[in-house]
Amino acid sequence: MARKSIVVAGVGGQGLITIGGVLGEALSEKGFNVSVGEVHGLSQRGGSVVVFLKYGDGSVSPIVTTGEADLIIGLELIEAARRLQLARKGGFVIVNDFLLPPPAAGKVPSREELLKSIRGSGLNDFVIDANGLALKAGSEIAVNMVMIGASLATRVIDVSVEDIERILTRRFKGELLRINLEALKLGYEEVEKKRYSSQVK
Amino acid sequence: MSGNAGERKLLLGNEAIARGALEAGISAAAAYPGTPSTEIIESLVDVAGEYGIYVEWSTNEKVALELGIGVSMMGLRSLVAMKHVGLNVASDPLMSLGYTGVIGGLVIVTADDPNAHSSQNEQDNRLYGIHANIPVFEPSTVQEAKDLTKALFEVSEKFQLSVILRTTTRLSHSRSPVVFGEVTRPSRDASFHKNPERWALLPPYNLVKHREVLERLKKLEEYLSEFRFNSVVKGEDNVAVVTSGITYNYVLEAVEELGVKPTIYKLSSVFPLPRKIALEILNYEKVIVVEELEPVIEWQLKIIGYEEKTGAEIYGKTVFPRVGELNKELAKAGIAAVTGIEYKPPEAALSPPGLPRRPPVLCPGCGHRSTYYAVKLAAQRARVKPIYANDIGCYTLGFYPPYEMADFTWSMGSSIGIGLGIARFSKEPVIAFIGDSTFYHAGIPALINAVYNKTPLLVIVMDNSITAMTGHQPHPGSGVGPSGESRPQIKIEDVARAVGVKFVEVVDAYDVTIVRDTVQRALRYIKETGEVAVIVSRRPCALLDVRNRRRRGEEIRPYIIDEAKCINCGICLDKFACPAIVRENSGKPRILAELCVGCGVCASICPAKAIRPAMG
Repeated sequence: MARKSIVVAGVGGQGLITIGGVLGEALSEKGFNVSVGEVHGLSQRGGSVVVFLKYGDGSVSPIVTTGEADLIIGLELIEAARRLQLARKGGFVIVNDFLLPPPAAGKVPSREELLKSIRGSGLNDFVIDANGLALKAGSEIAVNMVMIGASLATRVIDVSVEDIERILTRRFKGELLRINLEALKLGYEEVEKKRYSSQVK
Repeated sequence: MSGNAGERKLLLGNEAIARGALEAGISAAAAYPGTPSTEIIESLVDVAGEYGIYVEWSTNEKVALELGIGVSMMGLRSLVAMKHVGLNVASDPLMSLGYTGVIGGLVIVTADDPNAHSSQNEQDNRLYGIHANIPVFEPSTVQEAKDLTKALFEVSEKFQLSVILRTTTRLSHSRSPVVFGEVTRPSRDASFHKNPERWALLPPYNLVKHREVLERLKKLEEYLSEFRFNSVVKGEDNVAVVTSGITYNYVLEAVEELGVKPTIYKLSSVFPLPRKIALEILNYEKVIVVEELEPVIEWQLKIIGYEEKTGAEIYGKTVFPRVGELNKELAKAGIAAVTGIEYKPPEAALSPPGLPRRPPVLCPGCGHRSTYYAVKLAAQRARVKPIYANDIGCYTLGFYPPYEMADFTWSMGSSIGIGLGIARFSKEPVIAFIGDSTFYHAGIPALINAVYNKTPLLVIVMDNSITAMTGHQPHPGSGVGPSGESRPQIKIEDVARAVGVKFVEVVDAYDVTIVRDTVQRALRYIKETGEVAVIVSRRPCALLDVRNRRRRGEEIRPYIIDEAKCINCGICLDKFACPAIVRENSGKPRILAELCVGCGVCASICPAKAIRPAMG
């Protein structure tokens, strides 16, 4: 199988490392060579965070370069826009409709401007209210699980919702597990719905 | 990290190194935390009890390495880990270790940081090996990080040499599947290998040692020509690509996408370079060396090529950057340039221009913020323009607006040391900010120097009781050990008083008025006496404190801004700049309840008294 690349972009504290870990574990269990590149250190203090995930049958390096990503998972609008150039033409981008301006930043583009550049990027885009869906599932902390669910609905990543459920069941228990499973499902259904309605049109 | 032979788990590169050491049967591991090396020892802390090994956070890298040397003298195996600049601190014992060699296997991990993602520089520590006569090895994958680490303990003991395992950020912080091996428990008794002529580096024994180590290195070099971690994949052209470390993966992707088939040499032993392999490489018409940072392999190949009068054309830093990290595209561009094929950069979606940067910030409730704020007020009141010496830690973020209180940051402890040089000749006062962990690491000798040599300097220890930047490792002031067990607590103020500082004050970092007034008094003191003053500005790390409070089920009550009272002066937004306070479209400030940790400092500095706790 040809190599596939996924970029997860957001702000420190949004659970990006967990997204990389969960997807990486699922892909690893499918027998792929997997590399999940993370950024640690300074970036944990509310800075930009990007996680690179690559998998395939051959060699996988830990950096995704310009024009390489099949899918961008953006947990915040500015950070998603920042990483658009990593996507290949015709790739996918899933964005959480959430704008968090950096503290003490000067001019910040508006939500509308950011959405316009994401929609005009030539990528297959899905904009979802992941924060809202996470709250609906029971906690805003589950926004990362919503994004995993949403990304699976693009069919880009070679794992199923059941594969992820199995891993979550190992990692969490009780109420936290219930919230995460629900968030995963809501995210998946949201993009599935959008895909269906775009086909109908 | 724990698990049985044959299990396959997704491991971080650093965890794989730790697992390799565990499988090799280490008795001890030590480190001072530093990105990107921290998780090596951190993951060993988690399993220390289970596998019966001794793991410690040392006060600095020199002490950690010295501990490893001592363990080796006892005939036991140990792993010592540090970030690249940590090896500078440990370089003094390292140079002597290069002469003595070891008894028990000793692997020194240096986690280098090409691109300086979270470091003051991107120095290439492979050069330390050449400098210290210590062999250097580089793993290329996470699996190899484990396997090579394990094998290096055998190599270390077989040749009685310590070895350097060099990893880089991209390998240390990548997760990949790793198949576990058996955890071995070498059955050997700890006994001191008494041999003063070997261990006491005095003339004439030191020159004997120098000769001996060169002989042992020569034997090792011959052995390495058959080392199973050096590999070759034969190609079709008369071109050889030579690479090492994580770069190997960029090369594989690059040749695949370029559609070329050079012979690829992956070297795990980068110093000494096995001469037999080098001669094989130099048989090719063109040799392309793809390595990050310094041309360590390239230089060695060029020397051997000159000595052996081979005609190979050797390309390296003429086609690849010497600064920053490499990646697949850079590898493609360089290989294409040498082989004469066309390279087209990939087509990509475009990111919109003018996006604001998002640098890391001090957390909501961080005591460093209120300290910086108060020190600024004190300087204004005292009508001085201090020179702000800063150091390495979370508080380095004081460099950024709106604080801009880092006129320089250098290396661990340098705020005091360099501050002394400036203070000696400056008309304006010098204020040195140094964290608690950094103070124990390298601040104390400089402080003693300030006392002894009578230098007017205000040292403000930004004390959050933990090594916060790297993820909350305990230190001598924390009162706990690596697993949270009780330990003696060495207080900064006690150290300062004991070394003769007469002005020593401990303040609550949240109390802006007290911090401000204390700083003002200290500024007067250093001016009048010409001596050093120390203020310990103390508050536990907010990130950790909030986590603990949540765990205990304590309610965290956020603050709110009373819009009717707010005069929109902008102080909380633009001067204090807590990330929990944002500007509404109306221009007025609002506190984000989900980020606010209820420290209340913003309420204490609000001139309109418009900020108060939310009703329960």
